[in-house]
Amino acid sequence: MEQVLVTPKPRRLSLAGSLLPEGFLLLAGLLLFYAMPEDLGFATRILIGGLFALSLDLVLGYAGIVTLGHAAMFGVGAYAAGIFAIQVSGEPFLGLAVGAVAGAIVAAGSGVLVLRSHGLTSVMITLAIAQLLAEVASKWRSLTGGDDGLSGIAMSPLLGRFEFDFLGQTGFFYALTVLVLSFAVLRRLVRSPFGLTCVGIREDRERMAALGCRVNRHLTIVYAIGGAIAGIAGALSAQITQVVGLTSLGFAHSAEVLVMLVLGGTGRLWGALAGTLVFMVVHHFAAAVDPFRWMFVIGALLLVVVLFMRGGITGALLMVMRSHSRSVK
Amino acid sequence: MGLIASIIIDSVAYGMVLFVISIGLSITLGLMGFVNLAHGVFAMAGGYGAAWLMRTYGWSYELAALAAVALVALLAWPLQRLLYSRLQDRSDLDQVLFTIGLVFVGIAGMGVMFGNAITPLPLPEYLQGSVDLSFRVIPTQRIAAVVVGVLVLVALMWLLERTRFGIETRAAVEDADAARALGIRTARVYVMGFSLGAGLAALGGVIGAELLPLEPYYPLKYLVVLLAVVAVGGVGSPLGLFASALLLGTVETAAKYLVPSMSSIFFFATMLAVLAWRPAGLFGRAH
Amino acid sequence: MASSTRVLPLLALAAALVGSPVQAQQVVKVGIVGPFSGPFASSFGTPFRQGIEAYVAQNGEKAGSTRVEFVYRDLEGPNPERAKALAQELIVKEKVQYLGGFVFTPNALAVAPLIQSAKVPTVIFNASTSMILSKSDYFVRTSNTLPQVTVPVAKYALDMKVKRVVTAVSDYGPGVDAENAFRQTFQEGGGEIVESIRMPLNTTDFGPFLQKIRASKPDALFVFLPFGPPTFGFVKAFNDNGLKTAGIRFLGTSETQESDLQALGEAALKLETGYYYSAAHDSPQNKAFVETLAKVKATPNPATVAAFDGTHVLYKMIEATGGTANGAKAIEAVKGMAWESPRGPMKIDAQTRDVVQNVYMRVVEKLPDGRYVNRETKTYAAQPDYGLQLKK
Repeated sequence: MEQVLVTPKPRRLSLAGSLLPEGFLLLAGLLLFYAMPEDLGFATRILIGGLFALSLDLVLGYAGIVTLGHAAMFGVGAYAAGIFAIQVSGEPFLGLAVGAVAGAIVAAGSGVLVLRSHGLTSVMITLAIAQLLAEVASKWRSLTGGDDGLSGIAMSPLLGRFEFDFLGQTGFFYALTVLVLSFAVLRRLVRSPFGLTCVGIREDRERMAALGCRVNRHLTIVYAIGGAIAGIAGALSAQITQVVGLTSLGFAHSAEVLVMLVLGGTGRLWGALAGTLVFMVVHHFAAAVDPFRWMFVIGALLLVVVLFMRGGITGALLMVMRSHSRSVK
Repeated sequence: MGLIASIIIDSVAYGMVLFVISIGLSITLGLMGFVNLAHGVFAMAGGYGAAWLMRTYGWSYELAALAAVALVALLAWPLQRLLYSRLQDRSDLDQVLFTIGLVFVGIAGMGVMFGNAITPLPLPEYLQGSVDLSFRVIPTQRIAAVVVGVLVLVALMWLLERTRFGIETRAAVEDADAARALGIRTARVYVMGFSLGAGLAALGGVIGAELLPLEPYYPLKYLVVLLAVVAVGGVGSPLGLFASALLLGTVETAAKYLVPSMSSIFFFATMLAVLAWRPAGLFGRAH
Repeated sequence: MASSTRVLPLLALAAALVGSPVQAQQVVKVGIVGPFSGPFASSFGTPFRQGIEAYVAQNGEKAGSTRVEFVYRDLEGPNPERAKALAQELIVKEKVQYLGGFVFTPNALAVAPLIQSAKVPTVIFNASTSMILSKSDYFVRTSNTLPQVTVPVAKYALDMKVKRVVTAVSDYGPGVDAENAFRQTFQEGGGEIVESIRMPLNTTDFGPFLQKIRASKPDALFVFLPFGPPTFGFVKAFNDNGLKTAGIRFLGTSETQESDLQALGEAALKLETGYYYSAAHDSPQNKAFVETLAKVKATPNPATVAAFDGTHVLYKMIEATGGTANGAKAIEAVKGMAWESPRGPMKIDAQTRDVVQNVYMRVVEKLPDGRYVNRETKTYAAQPDYGLQLKK
């Protein structure tokens, strides 16, 4: 996507300053908590969706890998964490680690095929991998519950003290903490030389190769990291809702997170979060309305964003802010 | 022996339907490098259009089918000129997103107009029923699909090899700048190619309505299958697509006879295997 | 600070659940979860709503002295995460006392722990896997279970002296369950299962499967397919590949349900199915039911009658508790309840809370006015859920 100057600026800040965005995110999360105390399930799903969108942003927005099958990593992480909780241990943090590893393995494995090709073929492969995984999950009923879904996931209390309660309070703060921590890690990652290399590959692959960068190896690592984070998001979902369905792996899920990311603005971490928030809130209220009209609105929005509003919501906001600061000067 | 003959017959019939539906996508992709995920919308529009004409005006199957195909091809012209052309030089991602947006709009449109349930496309008398081949029967409609498929392939090959349009198209695919330098109006070639692709999709939607029933979610449901056939065939090569459709059709059909519950897995496994071996598809050129 | 933010919502929840023991609530909310949009809307979601509204039209908005308010939430397809989230929202935010609906097994399973801890009685309008009810004491079902309708079909085959059968089912949970239920019953009766075919869910071309079946020359074919394109494609292929003319019986369960029957048309003629409701059922209750629906141009569907009867159960539960929230009392009140539904006589089993009803063998016929109907040919009375008796 032709970005409007999205190269993140590496710069040094004081410790407080460098934690400002994370603090802001934490604050936003707390606001969400107080805004919908009876709807914490929904609020938690926004947080998990935001994490998932962040992982796609890394892969697609920063590294330029087009994928229509990102839900595969999410779903694999969810199933792995769920199965782990049922068969081994209900310890939440271990489950997160299991989800991350599962997502990373699937990504690294499929990355070998995906990254060797480009254009339609590579998109096809991402689709096919997700489809195949969904088929396997569906057939392996004894392990995954098949199309009945994986239920009966019981979690041990968080840190040994906080039970996963009915209202979803523990779940919410758990998800918020994981989100803020992941955001902190990702922010540093995209500003590091590693992250800048990703952007470079996205902008001009041949030049990067000419500069001596091992493009495919680099992309595979990014893809694996993205897969790990998506796996963590899936694990969170499995642990908090305590149920995993085949739809978590499905194409609709992949398409949905892509739409959310694009609406918010690819190539910007805040874009992933903003897009998720706006999309899910609007969907929550519009869902009561005729679903075909909802599809129409989303389709039209996509068209508008692609044609006129490249950079999504955050891109548009930045443009407004820039023109404002210019006029102020 | 009867088993092998059955497998061959069913594979060809299935493969031909896949071919007719996806040939349009291969052409637009090969010609303009445009990742048009909304291809299924044109196919669906053809089927729905024909059904609507038959239901509302009482037209015959043949007339309604022809009219629907022509209509879709005609409507594709301004669509390409006004919308698609603007994204011609944009990245793959932009094109994917744009066409997904079109898919959603298309689904919503058809859903509102025709409702959720399957819309049947009634076949004329002579296409109903089956033909008796002593050791088995074959639905007449399948034979028609095979005939149409072969005709389409022959017509396309002739078009590409023997007509001016075909030569201009091949030139534009080979090197658009050089073609323009030679005075070929690539914009016109693109829009005509796109229109042709859309019309073929509509034809596929009509012919394939028995196999892929008409419902609003059609473009999303069959997207993966269509893309698989095109990717394996190698973009832009009608012959490659023909081979791919037959290959994938045969693998899936044979599996249905021999290991039924694995037939879907075999389809995708074959696709992945071909793409791993030849990432540009069977007959494609590495870009 | 932390204590008040935790205690307040908990108090609200407690108040909602326990209710005031002194005076009954004037309005009771019921949350209905179903596919009101998407591919399953026409066969399940819309009929749910129509069934509920038909019951209200016939019986009024009040159960006893309490007004009943229905809150609808859309769940397009099998999505257990979302099912749980919706149920949570309905219980905590909307403060519903009862839940109803649920088309898909994974969705019902997902809410089981929730309704168990919140003690919210939940009436299932469709999900038909036997073991669902065992996951919570607060589940009641008014539709059917898969074994319940499949076992009579196998018995019918045996009664009709069918000796050799091929089973062809879609390769997913319900399909496999149906295959098991049929096979066990049929084999126990001395029949022979020539072959068991499992077809992938996303199959479009059923021709090869039907050819394979035809080549084995069975007396009958037992099928299970989800509604929509798979049933459509399979039934057409059944005709087009000459199985009907070869005299192979088609035995199924829900494939010819009314929402899809007219679209299937000619191809559905002579198909025999075993199910719990036919719109052509001849009884005064059904006549009144069909007429009420006709006023809103609604087609009577099994899902419609399941919702209709489900609403009856909900009303009885609300009456029994006088509008207060008392899950255990509500469930007790409907255990063993028996009444005459538009489908025929039905009862809620006192032990399993599942439905006990007649299962009818029907055959598709064309009426003089051009409509297709499921004409009942044989009744198997008071069929329980056989799921518990069959081996896995």
